Amino acid sequence: MIWRASGFRAWLLQRLSAVYMALFIGMFVLHLVLDAPSSYQEWRTWMALPFITVTASIFFAALLIHAWVGLRDVIIDYVHPLGMRFVLLALVAAGLLAMGLWVLRILMMGGAA
Amino acid sequence: MRFSIYRYNPETDAAPSMQDFDLPDADVAPGMMLLDALRLIKVSDETLSFRHSCGEGVCGSDAMNINGRNGLACITPLASLKQPIEIRPVPGMPVIRDLVVDMSQFYHQYRAIQPYLIVHDPEPEVEYLQTPEQRDELDGLYECILCGCCSTACPSFWWNPDKFRGPAALLQAYRFLADSRDQATAERLEALEGPYRLFRCHTVMNCVDVCPKGLNPTKAIGKIKKLMLKHLI
Ligand code: SF4
Ligand code: SF4
Ligand code: FES
Repeated sequence: MIWRASGFRAWLLQRLSAVYMALFIGMFVLHLVLDAPSSYQEWRTWMALPFITVTASIFFAALLIHAWVGLRDVIIDYVHPLGMRFVLLALVAAGLLAMGLWVLRILMMGGAA
Repeated sequence: MRFSIYRYNPETDAAPSMQDFDLPDADVAPGMMLLDALRLIKVSDETLSFRHSCGEGVCGSDAMNINGRNGLACITPLASLKQPIEIRPVPGMPVIRDLVVDMSQFYHQYRAIQPYLIVHDPEPEVEYLQTPEQRDELDGLYECILCGCCSTACPSFWWNPDKFRGPAALLQAYRFLADSRDQATAERLEALEGPYRLFRCHTVMNCVDVCPKGLNPTKAIGKIKKLMLKHLI
């Protein structure tokens, strides 16, 4: 549960998500360089490959976890009044969650079309 | 030689101020340290307050902010400093008088890491033995003189001095984790869990930059994290 990821687990999640994102971006860029899609249709077909959909979903999950840990750190560092901190954390969580659902919708729709 | 020194007596002054001092060049001997100069200045104005004792970088009592950088006055050569030399108390600590700060929070964090060997086995009949290699593990850790230069240069310690242990205490936490004679590894790691005690460190490395003994708290903090990982698996 990332909500309760206090010290060590948050730190570990941050490292692991960073490694995964680096690998995924490397793979992604390599594909664009070596075998760039020549049309929108080709791009969509590639994105809809189950392997790409799954790894891309994990990528965005990693991105959101990474952002959550990072922003949480900033808020813990600088925002000390508890009420204010809670409001900010809730806003960040809601924002990230919304982005996550939106990304998921895009990825799933891509597969459906 | 010109100095600009922070003056503040909370009992009589409304706010801190900087006071200029001039030390005649005739009084400045080659190879003189900043502490020597401060002592000469104190002869002309005995209300100027600062701590010092050993005069050779061993006791850790004369940590101050020298031209924007924390260091020990007694081992800072005057010749290395740009004038006017700006002296302030170490940042982030309550000022008691001029350059003297209240270090209670710093010591509290130090005590909290249990800076002593913890052994669960019955005490041996002879001395605790260590191989030379095991002893080498403590190099770069035991030399800390608790001057506080590092913790008071650490932004994470400025923001959360009551909850974040700070680089000095964490270096000592690792000093006991690394000691082959200590048997409380699991408890020590457990006690550093949570978002504050260890994990407020964001590897800014100010601590490494200023340590007058050339120690590396950031590396020790990294090793504690590695130990936690090892314990998880
Ligand atoms: S680690 Fe260095 S700077 Fe920090 S308290 Fe020890 S000797 Fe001073
Ligand atoms: S490395 Fe960590 S402990 Fe050292 S100054 Fe930076 S935040 Fe503070
Ligand atoms: S006077 Fe002891 S360390 Fe400087």
